[in-house]
Parts: sequence; C-alpha cells; structure tokens
Amino acid sequence: MTAAAEAIGIVKRFGATTALDGVSFDVLPGEIHALVGENGAGKSTLIRILGGVHRPDDGEIRVSGESCRFMSPHDAIAAGIVIIPQELRLVPALSVAENIALGDLPVRRALGFVPTVDRARMREEARAILAQLDFAPDSDQRVDRLSFAERQLVAIGKALRRRCCVFILDEPTAALEDREIARLFAALARMKAQGTAIVYVSHRLDEVVMLADRCTVLRDGRVAAASRRGAFSAADLVQAMTGRAAEDRSITAASLGDAALEDAEPRADAISLRVGEVIGLVGLLGSGADGVLRRFFGIADRAAILRAGGKTQRVDNPKGAVAAGIGMVPGERRLGLVMNLSVRDNILLPSLDRLTRGGRIDRAAGDRLVAELMEAIDIRPRAPGLRVSALSGGNQQKVIIAKWLAREVGVLLLNEPTQGVDVAAKAQIHALIRDFAARGGAALVHSSDLAELALICDAVLAVRAGRITARLERAEGLDEKTLHAAIGR
Amino acid sequence: MSTGAPLRQKLVGQAPLLTLVALCILTAMLTDRFLSPLNLTNILVQSSIMAVIAVGMTFVIIGGGFDLSVGSTVALAGCVATMAMVKAGLVAGVVAGIAAGAAVGLANGLIIAMLGVNPFITTLGTMVLVRGLVFLITGGAPVGDEGLPAVFVAFGSGRLFGIHYLVWLPAVLLVVLSWVMHATPYGRRVYATGGGREAAYLSGVPVRRVVASTYIWCGALAGLAGVMLAARLQSGQPTAGEFYELTAIAAVVLGGASLQGGEGTLYKSIIGVFIMIVLGNSLNLLNVDSYWQRVAVGAVIIAAAAADRLRSRA
Repeated sequence: MTAAAEAIGIVKRFGATTALDGVSFDVLPGEIHALVGENGAGKSTLIRILGGVHRPDDGEIRVSGESCRFMSPHDAIAAGIVIIPQELRLVPALSVAENIALGDLPVRRALGFVPTVDRARMREEARAILAQLDFAPDSDQRVDRLSFAERQLVAIGKALRRRCCVFILDEPTAALEDREIARLFAALARMKAQGTAIVYVSHRLDEVVMLADRCTVLRDGRVAAASRRGAFSAADLVQAMTGRAAEDRSITAASLGDAALEDAEPRADAISLRVGEVIGLVGLLGSGADGVLRRFFGIADRAAILRAGGKTQRVDNPKGAVAAGIGMVPGERRLGLVMNLSVRDNILLPSLDRLTRGGRIDRAAGDRLVAELMEAIDIRPRAPGLRVSALSGGNQQKVIIAKWLAREVGVLLLNEPTQGVDVAAKAQIHALIRDFAARGGAALVHSSDLAELALICDAVLAVRAGRITARLERAEGLDEKTLHAAIGR
Repeated sequence: MSTGAPLRQKLVGQAPLLTLVALCILTAMLTDRFLSPLNLTNILVQSSIMAVIAVGMTFVIIGGGFDLSVGSTVALAGCVATMAMVKAGLVAGVVAGIAAGAAVGLANGLIIAMLGVNPFITTLGTMVLVRGLVFLITGGAPVGDEGLPAVFVAFGSGRLFGIHYLVWLPAVLLVVLSWVMHATPYGRRVYATGGGREAAYLSGVPVRRVVASTYIWCGALAGLAGVMLAARLQSGQPTAGEFYELTAIAAVVLGGASLQGGEGTLYKSIIGVFIMIVLGNSLNLLNVDSYWQRVAVGAVIIAAAAADRLRSRA
C-alpha cells in the first residue's frame, strides 16, 4: 500500500544543533502510527516538517507517493495534512460552530442573490461533527467560555470537517480527562476505519501501547526503534527513549506534622494539609477539584479564609497567598512563566522584595540563589540568562517549581504538574514534590493522571460537584483502580 | 545555539544605533550644514524634550500599554506651569506643571488598570479631553509670556559646560531611570507584567498597580517635558506638543521596544528619538517639502511597527 505520508532521510539543523539526523517515517491510510521520544528527541521538528512549518535541510516528503515541497503550513493543509497542536488555534470570541466552519463557511443566498452565512446549516454541521466525538456543547457558545479539554475537542472537530487524509495529533490527551480520552479514541477508531492516516505523538506510553498500530521511537534526532503492535510494551518504549531501563521510584512515607494549610471556614470541600504531606485532588472535569487550588491561591470568585503557618487570614489575590507562604504551579506553563524573560528573572520574580537591599536588588545574592537551584533540581541547560521560552517543557516546569523554592514557600499548589513532560523529567518532578514535603513543606496536587497521584500522594481526595466524596489513604492502598472507582466512572 | 548567532543577535540588538549612524553619515555627505555646531546643538536641544517624553512612553510600552495623551499633557503642563509661575514663583510653577502631568497619568492609569478599558481608547479620549482643558484654562491664547522668573527663562537657553541645561536633564534622567528599571524590584516587575501579565499576577506581582504606575511615570515625565518646552518658548502655548505622541511612540518602537510589552530599554528609546529628530532635521536641511516630510515620518512609523512584528515572529 502507498503511504499516505512519508518522510525519507530527513535532516534538519538549527544552527549548530542537528535536530533530525536522517529520520525516515511513514504512515499508511487507516493506520495509527505513534511517535514517541523524550523532549528534544526531534518529534516536534519532524511533525513540523510534515506540517510545512519547517523545511528540511535534506531528505524528501511524499504525500500519497508524490514528492512534495511545502513552503508553508498552508501547502501542507492543501495536501491534506493537518496538525492538531498542543496550543490550540481557535478564535476565542467566535462561537463553537463558527470556529469549526471558519475558512469554509456554508453560504446561502438571501432573497435569492445576497450571499449570507447559513447559520442553521453551520450549527447543524458543528453538532453532527462534535457528535462523532460524543461532545454536545451549545454550538452558539463562545469558544473562550469552554474548558481546555472542550476547546481541544472543537479543534479536532474543525480538522475532522476538513476531511484531511493525514491527521497529526501532538499530545492530544495531555489535558484531557479519562472520559474525553475515551471519546477521542472512539473518534480516532472511526477515522481510522474510514481510511485516515493518523500520526499520534504522546508521552503517555500506556495510550500508545493501547492505540497504535505501529510505534516509532526517536532519540537524539534518530530513529531508536520502530515496531508493530503487540511487539512493544511501555517498558520497551521507555528503554528505547532513554537508552536505559525504567526505574520504579518507590516513595517513603514522610513523618507528618502540624497543619500547614487548612480552610478556616466550614465548607463542603474543606481541606487540611499537614506539614510533610502530599495530598492529591482528583475529579472529573467540572467537579471543582482544581477550584480548590484556585481558592487557596486567592484567584477563585470569592476570597478564602484560611489558616496557614498558624495564622488565620483572608486571601483574595496571589500576592496575599504568596505572603502567606503559598506558591502555585498552574496547569498551563504560559501562566507560570513570563516567556520573554530569562530563567533567572523568572526564578527570582516572586522573591524580588526579599532580595532587595537599600532599594536595589542584590544581584550577587540572586545569582547565587539561581545557580544553586538550577544545580539542585537539574534545570538544563545551566544558562540563567537564557530566555525561558527556549527551554523544553520539562525544564520550564522545573523553573516554575524553582521560583517557589527560591521564595521558600511552605505550601505548593500544583495543577497537572507533569502535563506534556517527558518520562525522565516527570520522574524528577515527582521526586522534587516528595522532597519538598520531606523537608517540611506540604503539597496539594491536582492531576488527571491517576497513576501519578497513586505514586506520589500520601492521600487522595475525590471531588464531585464541589464536595469531597472520599479520602483514600496510602496506608489503605492507593492505585489507579481504587482512584477510578472513587471519582465515579 | 549556532556559533554565528551571538554576533548576529548583537548586530540586531544594535540596529537602532547602526540606523542612526547610517542616517547621520548619509546626511553629512549630502549637506555640510548638518555637521555645523549650530545644527548639532539644535538637534540635541530638540531631542532633549522628546527624549523625556519617550522615556515615560518606554515605561508604558514595556508594561504592555500605550499612551496617546502625552502631546496634550505637554501643552497642559506648560500652560499650568507658566500660569502658576507668574503668580506663585518658580518652584510652585515647576511642581504644578509636573503634577498636572502626573494627574493625567493617574487618570489614564486608573481607567486602564482598574476598569480594564483599552489603553488606545482611553488615552485617545484623554488626549482630546486634556487638549480641551488647555484651551479652556488659557482661553486659547499663549499664557505667561510676561512675568516669568528670569531663572526660568535662563534655564531654557542657558548652558553648563557648553551644553544646554535642557540636554543635561534627560541625560541625568536616563541614568537614574535605567537604574530603576534594571536594579530595583519595581523595574523587574514592569518587565514581567508587560511580558506575561497573567504569569506575573500568579507570581504575586500586583499587576494592576504596576500598570497604573507606568502611566503616572509617563504623565509626570510628559509634564516635565511641558515645563522644559515652556522654558524654551518662554511662554505656555496651548497648541504645543501636537503629534508629539506619535513621534514618541515611533521613537520607542524604533528603539526596539515591543508593542506586545515586556521588551525595551530606555537608552535605545533615546536612540530612537535621535533617529526621528535627525530624520526631520535632514529633510529640512535638504529642503524637502514639508508635506513630503509628513509622508516620510508616517512611513517611518509604519516601518518601525512592521519591524516590531517581524522581530516578534522570528
């Protein structure tokens, strides 16, 4: 069978760095081909070349057997290759239906000759397409009113409508709940049956094993392994990605102390977090599980009355929360980092007032602090002056944690701390969170990755409709299955 | 990454300075009058007032905002300062002028930061409103052209070590305020707020206060520029400062500040001011029709904004 899309011997250099060094990759019609690798292995570069964003320095791209030269993403889309990126490209102020139809609006002739957008047909099409994804929003809803998971479904729906022949998904499930993941997989299965070729980029190896017909592993810009369904396991993939066997980091239970943070007013989702403790929060989309983090950081709709470090206080903005010794690692990295500032400036941002001597920042003390932290938590490269936007996702996430360690907060609130992060960095971040608690901190982690919560938490709270419905203790056995049951799916 | 990159980055970083040098060399080749001491002094003095405005504008633009009201503020401050000076003396006049500018900035800042109104619309409104106020308080005629303190008049034309007082002022401001932007927590917070407002907010930066403060700086410095202009004109002119906002914004963008916020330096904004002033000066020396001069200046503003977009895309 002719490949739907094929990359042959692709070489791509950025300055002195060789991102891809002779990589060949193909995807057949009606096939899901997974592409995995650590951050920086070359996955993004390869899909950007397939999608017309970058031009290869050497090698050839073929679509349905014909050699192509994409000068822009537009050319790739015209050839039927569509990328669903991690950062969705939707127009926030337009409705769901308009976003899906954008670029190809259905037109009718009012009064027989005036071209007018056929809103009824547009809504109907949007409904029909999203129904394939088992998603039924109000199609007149503005896209910016939807959650991230819902926006992603809209973006996928938009591409579905284009009837592309090659569909590239970049970390599609990174921000999705299990229920949406199941929906997405059902939709992918349907597309596959219709003969669409699907390239699936993911850090979630269990998904890859479950979903992919073939899997290609990239390491340092080369193909490290390529195998067919049934011939690889998640452990094999980790070994191929990292070049070493996966370690299982077991967690030692820390000794627990006094309350580090707790609600000081009665409420259905009241929480008490003790020193040395890592508590997980889990719940379906819209359950209010992440709302707990927002409340403690002063960014919920109402001010929080809480007790932190033995003092009762009202917190209604991040400044107050930081003053109370609370730091937040938000679910989206652009919320955690000022992208055009350096690593150093980002790490020191919450601590500027502490580093000030006589009206000016003590540069030397700041530099020392940054150097220590970058070394201690292994932020690569060790270049404090580098723009933080140049770092990989895992290292960016570590910078966000570093800025709160610099501030010496007592409590860390983490929202999806390892979303879109490679396996090695994921393990490092888990160790950082445990280490933070072991040194007298306390952490509250919201995650949709149940395996992650089972691995790092002392206890996990299940949240449903703004109430805590269960508390599962490590001592009583924590695993994905019990967590699944607790959140009610 | 690449070995060639640092040099290229350095060259791109110095693009404003290279542009200025090229412009000066070109003009000097086309006319000998350009390098005459009188002309060079003229350029310095003209640049000095615009430089003070551009410094304030740089604060606002780094903070992610925009201020169209500075031209009207210059006129307001000049008229208020001279009127107060005639009645209550030098110090009261200077203070009143700067305070009037700061008050305009405070109003802009409160409306933009606290109410969340778009900066373009807000300052477009205050631009027109403040100009109206100027005409109201002056009756549309120049004020303070008689009875200004002799020291004030001397300041407008006097020199220290052969250089006009008017030029020393922005030079000192540049040194002090560059230090504020780079060495104090306040300065770093302005950059962080402009570069990523939500991320800065979630790091505990009081972003609304920071944004409001940049407009107060901008207004107060426009007020100071108005006082300087009044000293030079030896009166308060209600029509002073027209189109200054455009020159100032163009200068800041020419100096490499990003209209998206979070980037820019005061020193390079002042290079941008020199580019704008030298351009006007050379077109004058070359006897280019004044209508064509407007066309040229407009084209430079658009080119600077386009270069800003190209930079942020690369």
